[in-house]
Amino acid sequence: MSETLLKIENLHKSFPIKGGLLSKEIASVKAVSGVSFDIRKGETLGLVGESGCGKSTLGRCIIRLLDSTSGKIIYRDQDITQSKGEDLRALRRQMQIIFQDPYASLNPRMTIGGIIAEPMKIHNLYATKSDRRDKVQELLETVGLRKDVIHRYPHEFSGGQRQRVGIARALAVDPEFIVCDEPVSALDVSIQAQVVNLLMDLQQKLGLTYLFIAHDLKVVEHISTRVAVMYLGRIVEMAEAEEMYRGPKHPYTKALMSAIPIPNPDGKKDRTILSGDVPSPIHPPSGCYFHPRCPIAIDPCKIDTPQLKEHGKDHLASCLRL
Amino acid sequence: MALLEVKNLKTGFKTENDVMMAVDDVSFQVEKGKTLGIVGESGCGKSVTSLSIMRLIPNPPGKIYEGEILFNGESLLALSEKKMRSVRGNHISMIFQEPMTSLNPVFTVGDQISEAIKLHMKGLTKSQIHEKTIEMLQLVGIPEPEARINEYPHQLSGGMRQRIMIAMALSCGPELLIADEPTTALDVTIQAQILELINRLQKELGMAVILITHDLGVVAETCDNVAVMYAGKIIEYGSVRDIFHRPKHHYTKGLLNSVPHFDSGKRLTRLETIPGIVPNLSDIPPGCRFQDRCTAVQNDCKDTEPELHEILPGHTVACFHPFQGQR
Repeated sequence: MSETLLKIENLHKSFPIKGGLLSKEIASVKAVSGVSFDIRKGETLGLVGESGCGKSTLGRCIIRLLDSTSGKIIYRDQDITQSKGEDLRALRRQMQIIFQDPYASLNPRMTIGGIIAEPMKIHNLYATKSDRRDKVQELLETVGLRKDVIHRYPHEFSGGQRQRVGIARALAVDPEFIVCDEPVSALDVSIQAQVVNLLMDLQQKLGLTYLFIAHDLKVVEHISTRVAVMYLGRIVEMAEAEEMYRGPKHPYTKALMSAIPIPNPDGKKDRTILSGDVPSPIHPPSGCYFHPRCPIAIDPCKIDTPQLKEHGKDHLASCLRL
Repeated sequence: MALLEVKNLKTGFKTENDVMMAVDDVSFQVEKGKTLGIVGESGCGKSVTSLSIMRLIPNPPGKIYEGEILFNGESLLALSEKKMRSVRGNHISMIFQEPMTSLNPVFTVGDQISEAIKLHMKGLTKSQIHEKTIEMLQLVGIPEPEARINEYPHQLSGGMRQRIMIAMALSCGPELLIADEPTTALDVTIQAQILELINRLQKELGMAVILITHDLGVVAETCDNVAVMYAGKIIEYGSVRDIFHRPKHHYTKGLLNSVPHFDSGKRLTRLETIPGIVPNLSDIPPGCRFQDRCTAVQNDCKDTEPELHEILPGHTVACFHPFQGQR
C-alpha cells in the first residue's frame, strides 16, 4: 500500500448562526460532523454528495482555508490543524485548490499572466521577472493554452479555457496535493471531458494527489481511485471506485447511483426514488442521519448512530442494516 | 396534424452593427402527447427556440425574423398580444431552470398559483380557486398542501419550488408543456423525483412536452424524439433509439461519447473529447458549422453548409459524411 499523505481524524466544522439583540449564537450549522479518512500519495480520492452535504467545507478545512471546530489534520506526520504564520505559508505551497466557478475565481482586472504569476510572487519562487514569465508560459502550455495569451484578460476566454487558467494557477507553486472543488460542473459536456482528461494527464506527469469533490457520480467514478460518499456532514460509505459502483452497500449510495439517468433508451431502470429532501444540517435527525428518507430504516435507526465499519476489503459503510 | 409545428424559424438579436442569429432556420414538429427533447450545449439556441414559441423574446434587441409557428394549425406569430396571452398558460405552459428566480419572493406560493388560475379560468369563486390551488399542490406531490399554501418561496427547498412551478404551469391544463432545463439546478435524487412527476403527469393529462436539456441521460429516459442543436441549427433529428444507438452526426456521436458511463470498463482512461469550442455566433464560418471540431471534415464541408436530409425513415441529419459505424 502506498504511503499516507494526509490523515483526517474526527473532523468537525460548524458555523454559528447569530441572532437576537446581542448577536448571541442561537444555533449552528453542522457542516462536517466527525469525518475520518486517509488520503494516499498519488491517488485521487473522490468525494461525492448532494448540495449542502458539507463536501466543499470539508475540502476547504483540509487545506486550511477554513479553521475546523475540532479534530485533527495530519499532513506527512505533522499536525497542521493549528498551523499559523510561516508554517501555514509553507503549507500553501504544498496544497492548492481549483474552484468550481471559473467566472468568479479569476480576478477580471488581472491579465492571465498576472493571475498565474501571483502565487509565485507571494512565495518568492523565482528570482527575476523573466524567470517567472518563462514559468508562466511553460504552465500555459502544460494546461493546453497558447503562450501568447499571457497579456489577455479572463473575459476573453470561455469557461473551459478559464478553468485551464485556474488549473495553471494552482500548479504555479508546484504543489503535491490539490483539492478540485467541482472543477467541471459549471462546464458544458464536451468541455468537461477535456478538463477531466487534462487533470488525469497532469496527475500522471507531476505525481499529484487529488481530492476530487463533485456531485456527478459518473465523473467521480471515472477519475477516482477511491470514492467517499457524504451525507449531511458524515461519510456514509467509502471504497475503491470500482468496488463502490459494482456493489454499493449503503442504501443512500444505492439510491444516489440509481437516480442517475442512463444515456441509453433501452437501459435498465430499476430505480429507488428517495422521498423528501435532505434534512437541514441545523437540526439533523437523531440516530442515523439518513433514516427519514431510507427505504429500509427500522426503529433502532432512529436512535443509534451507525459507525463506519468494514464490509469487505477496504470497503467501509455506516449502516445498522448491514 | 401535429400539435405544434415550427417552420424555418429564425430568431436573432441586434448587436451594435449586426444581427446575431441565435436560432437559424429551425423546423420541427411535436405530436400530441409525445415528448420532444432538444439537446445542445450552452449558446446553441435551445432556450431561444422555446422562448420564440412562447413569444417571450425581449424585443428589442430580439426579434423573430422569419418562419412560422403553428399550434393546432393556428399561427402563433399572427396573434395579437392579448390573444397570445390566453394561449400562454391555457394551451402552452413553460417551466424554467431556476425555480428561485422564477417565483416572486414576496407572495406566498398559494397566491402565485391561484393568480394563474384566476387569470385564465374566469368566473371561479374565491373558494373554488382555493380548492383548485390545493388540488394542484396535491397533484405535484407536495405534502400538507393546506399548510404549504401560505408559505413563501424561501421557506421551500429547490425541489419543492420546482414542484410549485410545475403546479403553476399545469394549473390550467395546457396541451403543451415546455420544460427548459427543469432539473439542472437540482440534485440527482431530487431530479429523479421531478422527472418521474413530469412523466406521470404527462400520462395522466395527455400533454405533449418539449424538454430542453444538456443531460443526455435525461433525454434517453424521457423523450420519444430528439433534436440535437449546434450553433443555432438542428443538426440531427430522430427517434430516441436512432439518436442514441445509431447517431449519424459526428457532433452527436462526440457528445454521447464524452460522457463517462458506469461499468464501461474505461475507468481512468482518457475520455473521448470534442476538440475546440463552440463557434461564436457573430462569426460563423462558411460551410458546416461544426467543421473546425469535426474528425471527419473534408473539403466540401468548408464550402457549402449541409442541409438536414433524411438518411433513414424519420432520421434526418445535416452532414455530408455521416458517421456509419457503431459508436
